[in-house]
Amino acid sequence: MAMTSNERPHSLPYLGYGLGLRVEHYEALLADPGRVEWLEIVSENYMVQGGLPLIWLDRFRERFPLVMHGVSLSIGSTDPLDEDYLSRLQALAQRVEPAWVSDHLCWTGVQGVNLHDLMPLPYTEEALEHVVSRVKRVQDTLKRRILLENVSSYVTFADSQLTEWEFLGAVAERADCLILLDINNVHVSAMNHGFSSMDYLRGIPAERVQQFHLAGYEQGEQLIIDTHDAPVSNAVWDLYVEAVRHFGRVSTMIERDDNFPPLAELRAELEHARALAEPLLQAAA
Amino acid sequence: MSSLQAIQQQLLHAVLAADSIPPPVISGNAIASAGDRLAIYQHGYRVRLRDALKIEFGGLQCMAGKAFENLLDKYVAAHPSEHYNIRWYGAGLAAFLDYAHPWRNKPQLAEMARLDWAISTAFDAADESSKDIAELSAVPPEAWAGLRLSLQKNLQIVTCLFNAAAYRRAADRGDTRPHLRRFDTPRQILVWRDATTVHYRTLENDEWQVLVAALRGETFAALCELLAAHRGEAAAMPRMVALLQHWLAAGMVQGWTL
Ligand SMILES: [Fe+2]
Repeated sequence: MAMTSNERPHSLPYLGYGLGLRVEHYEALLADPGRVEWLEIVSENYMVQGGLPLIWLDRFRERFPLVMHGVSLSIGSTDPLDEDYLSRLQALAQRVEPAWVSDHLCWTGVQGVNLHDLMPLPYTEEALEHVVSRVKRVQDTLKRRILLENVSSYVTFADSQLTEWEFLGAVAERADCLILLDINNVHVSAMNHGFSSMDYLRGIPAERVQQFHLAGYEQGEQLIIDTHDAPVSNAVWDLYVEAVRHFGRVSTMIERDDNFPPLAELRAELEHARALAEPLLQAAA
Repeated sequence: MSSLQAIQQQLLHAVLAADSIPPPVISGNAIASAGDRLAIYQHGYRVRLRDALKIEFGGLQCMAGKAFENLLDKYVAAHPSEHYNIRWYGAGLAAFLDYAHPWRNKPQLAEMARLDWAISTAFDAADESSKDIAELSAVPPEAWAGLRLSLQKNLQIVTCLFNAAAYRRAADRGDTRPHLRRFDTPRQILVWRDATTVHYRTLENDEWQVLVAALRGETFAALCELLAAHRGEAAAMPRMVALLQHWLAAGMVQGWTL
Protein backbone atom coordinates (compact mmCIF):
# COMPACT_ATOMS: atom_id res chain seq x y z
CA MET A 1 0.00 0.00 0.00
CA ALA A 2 1.37 3.36 -1.01
CA MET A 3 -0.13 5.54 1.69
CA THR A 4 -2.14 5.51 4.84
CA SER A 5 -4.07 8.53 5.91
CA ASN A 6 -1.66 9.63 8.60
CA GLU A 7 1.14 9.83 6.05
CA ARG A 8 -0.70 12.48 4.07
CA PRO A 9 1.15 15.74 4.51
CA HIS A 10 -1.83 17.83 3.43
CA SER A 11 -4.31 15.88 5.42
CA LEU A 12 -7.83 17.10 5.98
CA PRO A 13 -10.06 14.92 8.19
CA TYR A 14 -10.95 11.43 7.04
CA LEU A 15 -14.77 11.29 6.88
CA GLY A 16 -15.48 7.68 5.95
CA TYR A 17 -18.34 6.71 3.62
CA GLY A 18 -20.80 9.34 2.42
CA LEU A 19 -23.40 10.36 -0.12
CA GLY A 20 -24.13 13.35 -2.32
CA LEU A 21 -27.07 15.20 -0.76
CA ARG A 22 -30.01 15.54 -3.17
CA VAL A 23 -33.51 16.98 -2.59
CA GLU A 24 -35.03 13.61 -3.51
CA HIS A 25 -33.51 12.04 -0.40
CA TYR A 26 -33.91 14.82 2.17
CA GLU A 27 -36.70 13.19 4.17
CA ALA A 28 -35.35 9.67 3.92
CA LEU A 29 -31.87 10.70 5.03
CA LEU A 30 -33.11 12.43 8.14
CA ALA A 31 -35.50 9.59 8.95
CA ASP A 32 -32.95 6.82 8.56
CA PRO A 33 -29.36 7.76 7.70
CA GLY A 34 -28.14 4.20 8.26
CA ARG A 35 -24.36 4.18 8.10
CA VAL A 36 -24.06 7.31 5.95
CA GLU A 37 -21.23 9.16 7.70
CA TRP A 38 -21.05 12.44 5.77
CA LEU A 39 -22.69 14.36 2.97
CA GLU A 40 -21.50 16.36 0.00
CA ILE A 41 -23.69 19.31 -1.02
CA VAL A 42 -23.72 20.97 -4.44
CA SER A 43 -22.69 24.50 -3.47
CA GLU A 44 -24.75 26.30 -6.12
CA ASN A 45 -27.99 24.74 -4.83
CA TYR A 46 -27.56 26.69 -1.61
CA MET A 47 -26.20 29.93 -3.05
CA VAL A 48 -29.69 31.41 -2.76
CA GLN A 49 -31.03 34.19 -0.59
CA GLY A 50 -33.39 32.19 1.61
CA GLY A 51 -36.32 29.82 1.79
CA LEU A 52 -36.43 26.05 2.04
CA PRO A 53 -32.99 25.21 0.58
CA LEU A 54 -31.21 26.94 3.47
CA ILE A 55 -33.58 25.52 6.09
CA TRP A 56 -32.81 21.99 4.89
CA LEU A 57 -29.13 22.82 4.74
CA ASP A 58 -29.13 23.85 8.41
CA ARG A 59 -30.92 20.65 9.37
CA PHE A 60 -28.31 18.49 7.66
CA ARG A 61 -25.48 20.58 9.03
CA GLU A 62 -26.61 19.69 12.55
CA ARG A 63 -26.57 15.98 11.81
CA PHE A 64 -23.70 15.29 9.39
CA PRO A 65 -20.20 16.49 8.55
CA LEU A 66 -20.60 18.32 5.22
CA VAL A 67 -18.31 19.06 2.31
CA MET A 68 -19.06 21.57 -0.44
CA HIS A 69 -18.82 20.60 -4.11
CA GLY A 70 -19.21 23.31 -6.76
CA VAL A 71 -19.82 23.12 -10.50
CA SER A 72 -19.35 26.75 -11.55
CA LEU A 73 -15.91 27.87 -10.45
CA SER A 74 -14.70 27.47 -14.04
CA ILE A 75 -11.11 27.38 -12.85
CA GLY A 76 -9.77 26.79 -16.37
CA SER A 77 -11.72 29.49 -18.21
CA THR A 78 -9.90 32.37 -19.86
CA ASP A 79 -12.71 34.67 -18.68
CA PRO A 80 -11.84 36.49 -15.45
CA LEU A 81 -12.75 34.67 -12.24
CA ASP A 82 -16.34 35.57 -11.31
CA GLU A 83 -15.88 37.68 -8.18
CA ASP A 84 -19.58 37.59 -7.35
CA TYR A 85 -19.52 33.81 -7.49
CA LEU A 86 -16.40 33.64 -5.35
CA SER A 87 -17.79 35.90 -2.66
CA ARG A 88 -21.04 33.91 -2.52
CA LEU A 89 -19.04 30.70 -2.32
CA GLN A 90 -17.01 32.16 0.50
CA ALA A 91 -20.16 33.27 2.33
CA LEU A 92 -21.64 29.78 1.98
CA ALA A 93 -18.42 28.22 3.28
CA GLN A 94 -18.62 30.49 6.32
CA ARG A 95 -22.18 29.35 6.97
CA VAL A 96 -21.57 25.63 6.36
CA GLU A 97 -18.03 25.31 7.74
CA PRO A 98 -17.45 22.30 5.48
CA ALA A 99 -14.61 19.86 6.00
CA TRP A 100 -13.47 20.98 2.52
CA VAL A 101 -14.51 22.73 -0.68
CA SER A 102 -14.13 21.22 -4.13
CA ASP A 103 -14.83 21.94 -7.79
CA HIS A 104 -13.68 20.52 -11.12
CA LEU A 105 -10.55 20.76 -13.23
CA CYS A 106 -12.39 22.21 -16.21
CA TRP A 107 -13.93 25.34 -17.70
CA THR A 108 -17.68 25.91 -17.96
CA GLY A 109 -17.82 28.81 -20.40
CA VAL A 110 -16.05 31.75 -21.98
CA GLN A 111 -17.03 35.20 -23.33
CA GLY A 112 -19.70 35.44 -20.65
CA VAL A 113 -21.58 32.39 -21.92
CA ASN A 114 -22.06 29.42 -19.62
CA LEU A 115 -22.37 25.93 -21.06
CA HIS A 116 -23.20 24.46 -17.63
CA ASP A 117 -20.91 21.61 -18.52
CA LEU A 118 -17.51 20.49 -17.31
CA MET A 119 -15.42 21.20 -20.41
CA PRO A 120 -11.97 19.64 -20.60
CA LEU A 121 -8.79 21.67 -20.98
CA PRO A 122 -5.98 21.20 -23.45
CA TYR A 123 -3.11 19.73 -21.47
CA THR A 124 -0.51 22.36 -22.29
CA GLU A 125 2.03 24.36 -20.31
CA GLU A 126 -0.01 27.49 -21.03
CA ALA A 127 -3.21 25.99 -19.58
CA LEU A 128 -1.26 24.63 -16.63
CA GLU A 129 0.14 28.04 -15.71
CA HIS A 130 -3.26 29.64 -16.15
CA VAL A 131 -5.03 27.14 -13.89
CA VAL A 132 -2.30 27.17 -11.25
CA SER A 133 -2.42 30.95 -10.85
CA ARG A 134 -6.21 30.86 -10.55
CA VAL A 135 -6.24 28.03 -8.02
CA LYS A 136 -3.81 30.06 -5.90
CA ARG A 137 -6.11 33.08 -6.06
CA VAL A 138 -9.16 31.03 -5.11
CA GLN A 139 -7.28 29.41 -2.23
CA ASP A 140 -6.12 32.82 -1.01
CA THR A 141 -9.70 34.10 -1.12
CA LEU A 142 -11.24 31.08 0.60
CA LYS A 143 -8.26 30.76 2.96
CA ARG A 144 -8.20 27.00 2.49
CA ARG A 145 -6.87 24.41 0.07
CA ILE A 146 -9.44 23.32 -2.47
CA LEU A 147 -9.93 19.93 -4.08
CA LEU A 148 -10.13 19.67 -7.86
CA GLU A 149 -11.97 16.77 -9.48
CA ASN A 150 -11.05 15.04 -12.73
CA VAL A 151 -13.94 15.28 -15.21
CA SER A 152 -15.20 12.81 -17.79
CA SER A 153 -14.27 14.01 -21.23
CA TYR A 154 -15.15 13.16 -24.80
CA VAL A 155 -12.77 15.37 -26.74
CA THR A 156 -9.02 15.79 -26.71
CA PHE A 157 -7.11 18.70 -28.16
CA ALA A 158 -4.52 18.61 -30.91
CA ASP A 159 -2.41 20.99 -28.78
CA SER A 160 -2.14 18.74 -25.71
CA GLN A 161 1.42 17.88 -24.69
CA LEU A 162 0.74 16.19 -21.36
CA THR A 163 -1.47 13.29 -20.32
CA GLU A 164 -4.48 14.15 -18.21
CA TRP A 165 -2.91 12.65 -15.10
CA GLU A 166 0.34 14.55 -15.64
CA PHE A 167 -1.67 17.74 -15.97
CA LEU A 168 -3.83 17.06 -12.88
CA GLY A 169 -0.76 16.11 -10.86
CA ALA A 170 1.15 19.20 -11.95
CA VAL A 171 -1.78 21.50 -11.10
CA ALA A 172 -2.04 19.95 -7.64
CA GLU A 173 1.70 20.16 -6.97
CA ARG A 174 2.30 23.66 -8.30
CA ALA A 175 -0.86 25.24 -6.88
CA ASP A 176 -0.63 23.18 -3.69
CA CYS A 177 -4.22 21.99 -3.95
CA LEU A 178 -5.78 18.57 -3.35
CA ILE A 179 -7.48 16.02 -5.59
CA LEU A 180 -11.01 14.68 -5.66
CA LEU A 181 -10.63 11.55 -7.74
CA ASP A 182 -13.81 10.47 -9.50
CA ILE A 183 -13.16 6.79 -10.17
CA ASN A 184 -16.01 6.63 -12.67
CA ASN A 185 -14.64 9.61 -14.59
CA VAL A 186 -11.20 7.99 -14.81
CA HIS A 187 -12.83 4.89 -16.28
CA VAL A 188 -15.06 6.84 -18.69
CA SER A 189 -12.20 8.94 -20.01
CA ALA A 190 -9.87 5.94 -20.20
CA MET A 191 -12.41 4.07 -22.34
CA ASN A 192 -13.20 7.09 -24.49
CA HIS A 193 -9.63 8.11 -25.15
CA GLY A 194 -7.96 4.72 -24.98
CA PHE A 195 -5.59 5.23 -22.06
CA SER A 196 -4.94 2.98 -19.07
CA SER A 197 -6.82 3.76 -15.86
CA MET A 198 -3.98 2.22 -13.89
CA ASP A 199 -1.48 4.59 -15.49
CA TYR A 200 -3.79 7.37 -14.32
CA LEU A 201 -3.92 6.14 -10.72
CA ARG A 202 -0.16 5.65 -10.59
CA GLY A 203 0.50 8.97 -12.27
CA ILE A 204 -1.06 11.36 -9.77
CA PRO A 205 0.46 12.43 -6.44
CA ALA A 206 -1.09 9.91 -4.05
CA GLU A 207 -0.67 12.05 -0.94
CA ARG A 208 -2.91 14.73 -2.44
CA VAL A 209 -5.94 12.48 -3.08
CA GLN A 210 -8.46 13.51 -0.44
CA GLN A 211 -11.78 12.17 -1.74
CA PHE A 212 -13.24 9.56 -4.11
CA HIS A 213 -16.45 9.79 -6.12
CA LEU A 214 -18.15 6.61 -7.29
CA ALA A 215 -20.87 6.86 -9.93
CA GLY A 216 -22.45 5.18 -12.92
CA TYR A 217 -22.30 5.72 -16.67
CA GLU A 218 -24.22 4.84 -19.80
CA GLN A 219 -22.85 2.90 -22.76
CA GLY A 220 -23.31 4.96 -25.93
CA GLU A 221 -22.74 3.70 -29.47
CA GLN A 222 -19.03 4.40 -29.57
CA LEU A 223 -18.31 6.37 -26.43
CA ILE A 224 -19.41 5.87 -22.87
CA ILE A 225 -21.30 8.75 -21.39
CA ASP A 226 -20.84 9.91 -17.82
CA THR A 227 -24.45 10.33 -16.78
CA HIS A 228 -24.01 9.85 -13.02
CA ASP A 229 -27.55 8.43 -13.26
CA ALA A 230 -26.96 4.69 -12.92
CA PRO A 231 -25.56 2.23 -10.39
CA VAL A 232 -21.78 1.98 -10.16
CA SER A 233 -20.59 -0.44 -12.85
CA ASN A 234 -18.48 -3.55 -12.24
CA ALA A 235 -15.55 -2.00 -14.07
CA VAL A 236 -15.66 1.00 -11.73
CA TRP A 237 -15.90 -1.24 -8.64
CA ASP A 238 -12.80 -3.05 -9.89
CA LEU A 239 -11.00 0.22 -10.36
CA TYR A 240 -12.11 1.36 -6.90
CA VAL A 241 -10.44 -1.71 -5.40
CA GLU A 242 -7.23 -0.79 -7.23
CA ALA A 243 -7.56 2.79 -6.01
CA VAL A 244 -7.97 1.67 -2.39
CA ARG A 245 -4.89 -0.56 -2.77
CA HIS A 246 -2.94 2.33 -4.20
CA PHE A 247 -4.14 5.34 -2.20
CA GLY A 248 -5.17 3.76 1.10
CA ARG A 249 -7.88 5.25 3.25
CA VAL A 250 -9.71 7.99 1.33
CA SER A 251 -13.16 9.45 2.11
CA THR A 252 -15.51 7.81 -0.38
CA MET A 253 -19.00 8.65 -1.60
CA ILE A 254 -21.63 7.60 -4.10
CA GLU A 255 -22.55 10.45 -6.42
CA ARG A 256 -25.94 10.17 -8.14
CA ASP A 257 -27.10 13.19 -10.11
CA ASP A 258 -30.23 11.93 -11.84
CA ASN A 259 -32.64 9.01 -12.09
CA PHE A 260 -32.73 8.84 -8.31
CA PRO A 261 -33.46 5.44 -6.79
CA PRO A 262 -34.84 5.07 -3.25
CA LEU A 263 -32.21 6.01 -0.67
CA ALA A 264 -31.87 2.36 0.36
CA GLU A 265 -30.32 1.55 -3.01
CA LEU A 266 -27.63 4.19 -2.64
CA ARG A 267 -26.99 3.11 0.92
CA ALA A 268 -26.54 -0.46 -0.35
CA GLU A 269 -23.99 0.79 -2.92
CA LEU A 270 -22.18 2.62 -0.16
CA GLU A 271 -22.11 -0.57 1.95
CA HIS A 272 -20.67 -2.38 -1.04
CA ALA A 273 -17.87 0.20 -1.23
CA ARG A 274 -17.21 -0.31 2.48
CA ALA A 275 -17.20 -4.09 2.09
CA LEU A 276 -14.67 -3.87 -0.74
CA ALA A 277 -12.37 -1.35 0.92
CA GLU A 278 -12.31 -2.25 4.61
CA PRO A 279 -10.75 -5.75 4.34
CA LEU A 280 -7.96 -4.31 2.17
CA LEU A 281 -7.37 -1.42 4.54
CA GLN A 282 -7.40 -3.62 7.62
CA ALA A 283 -5.05 -6.13 6.03
CA ALA A 284 -2.66 -3.31 5.20
CA ALA A 285 -2.82 -1.75 8.66
CA MET B 1 -5.38 36.04 -28.16
CA SER B 2 -3.79 33.18 -26.25
CA SER B 3 -4.14 29.75 -27.78
CA LEU B 4 -6.07 28.59 -24.70
CA GLN B 5 -8.56 31.38 -25.24
CA ALA B 6 -8.86 30.54 -28.94
CA ILE B 7 -9.46 26.87 -28.16
CA GLN B 8 -12.17 27.69 -25.64
CA GLN B 9 -13.91 30.13 -27.95
CA GLN B 10 -13.88 27.71 -30.87
CA LEU B 11 -15.23 24.85 -28.80
CA LEU B 12 -17.88 27.03 -27.16
CA HIS B 13 -19.15 28.29 -30.50
CA ALA B 14 -19.17 24.78 -31.93
CA VAL B 15 -21.32 23.61 -28.99
CA LEU B 16 -23.71 26.57 -29.32
CA ALA B 17 -23.98 26.32 -33.10
CA ALA B 18 -24.82 22.63 -33.08
CA ASP B 19 -22.67 22.60 -36.22
CA SER B 20 -21.72 19.14 -37.33
CA ILE B 21 -18.27 20.30 -38.42
CA PRO B 22 -15.92 20.14 -35.45
CA PRO B 23 -13.31 22.91 -35.09
CA PRO B 24 -9.77 21.82 -35.99
CA VAL B 25 -8.56 22.23 -32.39
CA ILE B 26 -10.24 19.01 -31.28
CA SER B 27 -9.15 15.61 -32.47
CA GLY B 28 -10.80 12.25 -32.97
CA ASN B 29 -9.29 8.78 -32.96
CA ALA B 30 -10.16 5.20 -33.84
CA ILE B 31 -12.73 5.04 -31.05
CA ALA B 32 -14.81 7.99 -32.29
CA SER B 33 -14.51 10.88 -34.71
CA ALA B 34 -14.12 14.49 -33.58
CA GLY B 35 -17.66 15.16 -34.83
CA ASP B 36 -19.19 12.35 -32.76
CA ARG B 37 -17.27 13.57 -29.73
CA LEU B 38 -18.41 17.15 -30.18
CA ALA B 39 -22.01 15.95 -30.60
CA ILE B 40 -22.06 14.75 -26.98
CA TYR B 41 -21.39 18.27 -25.74
CA GLN B 42 -23.89 19.79 -28.18
CA HIS B 43 -26.61 17.42 -27.07
CA GLY B 44 -25.78 17.69 -23.37
CA TYR B 45 -25.91 21.50 -23.45
CA ARG B 46 -29.45 21.55 -24.84
CA VAL B 47 -30.74 18.81 -22.55
CA ARG B 48 -29.42 20.54 -19.43
CA LEU B 49 -30.97 23.90 -20.24
CA ARG B 50 -34.30 22.35 -21.20
CA ASP B 51 -34.37 20.27 -18.02
CA ALA B 52 -33.68 23.38 -15.94
CA LEU B 53 -36.64 25.16 -17.58
CA LYS B 54 -38.96 22.20 -17.08
CA ILE B 55 -38.43 22.41 -13.33
CA GLU B 56 -39.49 26.08 -13.17
CA PHE B 57 -42.26 26.28 -15.77
CA GLY B 58 -44.84 23.66 -14.81
CA GLY B 59 -47.77 25.95 -15.64
CA LEU B 60 -46.36 26.74 -19.07
CA GLN B 61 -45.79 23.07 -19.80
CA CYS B 62 -49.43 22.40 -18.92
CA MET B 63 -50.70 25.30 -21.02
CA ALA B 64 -48.47 24.84 -24.08
CA GLY B 65 -49.00 21.06 -24.20
CA LYS B 66 -47.30 19.49 -27.22
CA ALA B 67 -45.83 22.85 -28.26
CA PHE B 68 -43.79 23.05 -25.04
CA GLU B 69 -40.77 21.11 -26.34
CA ASN B 70 -40.52 23.26 -29.46
CA LEU B 71 -40.87 26.40 -27.37
CA LEU B 72 -37.98 25.30 -25.15
CA ASP B 73 -35.83 24.45 -28.18
CA LYS B 74 -36.38 27.91 -29.64
CA TYR B 75 -35.57 29.67 -26.38
CA VAL B 76 -32.42 27.61 -25.88
CA ALA B 77 -31.32 28.34 -29.46
CA ALA B 78 -31.96 32.08 -29.03
CA HIS B 79 -30.57 32.50 -25.50
CA PRO B 80 -27.17 31.30 -24.38
CA SER B 81 -27.01 31.07 -20.60
CA GLU B 82 -25.15 33.96 -19.02
CA HIS B 83 -25.39 33.09 -15.35
CA TYR B 84 -23.17 30.65 -13.48
CA ASN B 85 -26.23 29.22 -11.78
CA ILE B 86 -28.51 27.37 -14.20
CA ARG B 87 -31.35 28.14 -11.80
CA TRP B 88 -31.59 31.65 -13.35
CA TYR B 89 -31.76 30.50 -16.96
CA GLY B 90 -35.54 31.00 -17.14
CA ALA B 91 -35.32 34.69 -16.20
CA GLY B 92 -35.75 35.77 -19.84
CA LEU B 93 -38.38 33.27 -20.96
CA ALA B 94 -41.47 35.47 -20.47
CA ALA B 95 -39.86 38.36 -22.37
CA PHE B 96 -38.87 35.95 -25.16
CA LEU B 97 -42.46 34.74 -25.48
CA ASP B 98 -43.62 38.37 -25.60
CA TYR B 99 -41.67 39.16 -28.74
CA ALA B 100 -40.74 35.94 -30.55
CA HIS B 101 -42.83 34.53 -33.39
CA PRO B 102 -45.18 32.63 -33.18
CA TRP B 103 -45.49 32.86 -29.40
CA ARG B 104 -46.23 36.58 -29.36
CA ASN B 105 -49.57 35.82 -31.00
CA LYS B 106 -50.53 33.77 -27.95
CA PRO B 107 -50.07 36.24 -25.09
CA GLN B 108 -51.37 33.69 -22.60
CA LEU B 109 -47.99 31.91 -22.86
CA ALA B 110 -45.89 34.91 -21.79
CA GLU B 111 -48.39 35.58 -19.02
CA MET B 112 -48.12 31.98 -17.85
CA ALA B 113 -44.32 32.12 -17.93
CA ARG B 114 -44.44 35.32 -15.86
CA LEU B 115 -46.59 33.66 -13.19
CA ASP B 116 -44.40 30.52 -13.13
CA TRP B 117 -41.29 32.68 -12.75
CA ALA B 118 -42.79 34.78 -9.96
CA ILE B 119 -43.54 31.55 -8.06
CA SER B 120 -40.05 30.27 -8.77
CA THR B 121 -38.29 33.41 -7.53
CA ALA B 122 -40.46 33.66 -4.40
CA PHE B 123 -39.34 30.15 -3.45
CA ASP B 124 -35.74 31.07 -2.61
CA ALA B 125 -36.07 34.83 -2.07
CA ALA B 126 -34.45 36.27 1.06
CA ASP B 127 -35.97 35.27 4.39
CA GLU B 128 -37.99 37.99 6.12
CA SER B 129 -39.67 37.99 9.49
CA SER B 130 -43.40 38.65 9.72
CA LYS B 131 -45.60 40.30 12.32
CA ASP B 132 -48.84 39.00 13.79
CA ILE B 133 -52.08 40.61 14.86
CA ALA B 134 -51.09 40.87 18.52
CA GLU B 135 -48.08 43.00 17.63
CA LEU B 136 -50.16 45.32 15.47
CA SER B 137 -52.78 45.65 18.22
CA ALA B 138 -50.14 47.22 20.43
CA VAL B 139 -50.00 50.29 18.16
CA PRO B 140 -51.63 53.19 20.11
CA PRO B 141 -54.92 54.41 18.55
CA GLU B 142 -53.63 57.94 17.85
CA ALA B 143 -50.76 56.53 15.74
CA TRP B 144 -52.94 54.54 13.32
CA ALA B 145 -53.71 57.28 10.81
CA GLY B 146 -49.99 57.76 10.03
CA LEU B 147 -49.03 54.07 10.09
CA ARG B 148 -47.22 52.78 7.00
CA LEU B 149 -47.00 49.05 6.40
CA SER B 150 -43.82 47.30 5.26
CA LEU B 151 -44.85 44.30 3.21
CA GLN B 152 -42.67 41.30 2.38
CA LYS B 153 -40.19 42.04 -0.38
CA ASN B 154 -40.86 38.68 -2.04
CA LEU B 155 -44.45 39.71 -2.73
CA GLN B 156 -45.23 40.02 -6.46
CA ILE B 157 -48.36 40.89 -8.44
CA VAL B 158 -48.85 39.36 -11.89
CA THR B 159 -51.53 40.83 -14.17
CA CYS B 160 -53.46 38.08 -15.92
CA LEU B 161 -55.81 38.35 -18.91
CA PHE B 162 -56.16 34.57 -18.93
CA ASN B 163 -56.72 31.82 -16.37
CA ALA B 164 -52.98 31.16 -16.02
CA ALA B 165 -53.35 30.38 -12.31
CA ALA B 166 -55.69 27.50 -13.16
CA TYR B 167 -53.00 25.92 -15.37
CA ARG B 168 -50.40 26.29 -12.68
CA ARG B 169 -52.71 24.75 -10.13
CA ALA B 170 -53.45 21.83 -12.48
CA ALA B 171 -49.71 21.33 -13.01
CA ASP B 172 -48.98 21.40 -9.27
CA ARG B 173 -51.75 18.93 -8.48
CA GLY B 174 -51.38 16.72 -11.54
CA ASP B 175 -54.97 17.52 -12.56
CA THR B 176 -56.25 17.50 -16.13
CA ARG B 177 -55.48 20.51 -18.28
CA PRO B 178 -58.09 23.29 -17.94
CA HIS B 179 -59.69 25.09 -20.89
CA LEU B 180 -58.24 28.46 -21.80
CA ARG B 181 -60.36 31.37 -20.60
CA ARG B 182 -59.88 35.03 -21.38
CA PHE B 183 -61.22 37.37 -18.69
CA ASP B 184 -63.35 40.43 -19.53
CA THR B 185 -61.14 42.55 -17.31
CA PRO B 186 -57.58 41.73 -16.22
CA ARG B 187 -57.13 40.00 -12.88
CA GLN B 188 -54.29 40.49 -10.46
CA ILE B 189 -52.59 37.41 -9.05
CA LEU B 190 -50.68 37.88 -5.83
CA VAL B 191 -47.62 35.66 -5.32
CA TRP B 192 -45.89 35.55 -1.94
CA ARG B 193 -44.06 33.24 0.41
CA ASP B 194 -45.25 32.57 3.94
CA ALA B 195 -42.20 31.17 5.78
CA THR B 196 -41.34 28.31 3.40
CA THR B 197 -44.52 27.93 1.36
CA VAL B 198 -45.17 29.87 -1.84
CA HIS B 199 -48.80 30.90 -2.36
CA TYR B 200 -50.71 32.58 -5.17
CA ARG B 201 -54.26 33.86 -5.27
CA THR B 202 -56.47 36.25 -7.21
CA LEU B 203 -56.86 39.67 -5.61
CA GLU B 204 -60.21 41.40 -5.46
CA ASN B 205 -60.13 44.74 -7.18
CA ASP B 206 -60.26 46.86 -4.00
CA GLU B 207 -57.69 44.68 -2.25
CA TRP B 208 -55.37 45.05 -5.22
CA GLN B 209 -55.61 48.83 -5.16
CA VAL B 210 -55.05 49.04 -1.42
CA LEU B 211 -52.15 46.63 -1.60
CA VAL B 212 -50.47 48.61 -4.38
CA ALA B 213 -50.98 51.80 -2.34
CA ALA B 214 -49.51 50.10 0.74
CA LEU B 215 -46.51 48.96 -1.32
CA ARG B 216 -46.05 52.59 -2.43
CA GLY B 217 -45.85 53.51 1.27
CA GLU B 218 -49.21 55.29 1.64
CA THR B 219 -50.49 55.84 5.19
CA PHE B 220 -53.23 53.82 6.84
CA ALA B 221 -55.56 56.86 6.54
CA ALA B 222 -54.94 57.00 2.79
CA LEU B 223 -55.64 53.26 2.43
CA CYS B 224 -58.96 53.73 4.25
CA GLU B 225 -59.88 56.59 1.94
CA LEU B 226 -59.22 54.40 -1.06
CA LEU B 227 -61.54 51.76 0.35
CA ALA B 228 -64.21 54.36 1.10
CA ALA B 229 -64.17 55.31 -2.58
CA HIS B 230 -64.86 51.65 -3.46
CA ARG B 231 -67.28 50.60 -0.75
CA GLY B 232 -68.58 53.75 0.93
CA GLU B 233 -67.55 55.32 4.25
CA ALA B 234 -69.35 52.86 6.47
CA ALA B 235 -67.85 49.74 4.90
CA ALA B 236 -64.30 51.08 4.57
CA MET B 237 -63.03 50.48 8.09
CA PRO B 238 -64.40 46.93 8.54
CA ARG B 239 -62.98 46.02 5.14
CA MET B 240 -59.58 47.50 6.02
CA VAL B 241 -59.53 45.54 9.28
CA ALA B 242 -60.47 42.35 7.46
CA LEU B 243 -57.72 42.87 4.87
CA LEU B 244 -55.14 43.60 7.54
CA GLN B 245 -56.06 40.49 9.48
CA HIS B 246 -55.84 38.49 6.29
CA TRP B 247 -52.42 39.88 5.34
CA LEU B 248 -51.01 39.36 8.82
CA ALA B 249 -52.29 35.79 9.01
CA ALA B 250 -50.78 35.08 5.58
CA GLY B 251 -47.35 36.27 6.70
CA MET B 252 -47.34 39.19 4.23
CA VAL B 253 -46.55 41.95 6.72
CA GLN B 254 -42.95 42.46 7.74
CA GLY B 255 -43.54 45.49 9.96
CA TRP B 256 -44.59 49.14 9.95
CA THR B 257 -43.40 52.61 10.67
CA LEU B 258 -45.37 55.12 12.72
FE1 LIG C 1 -17.86 13.37 -9.66
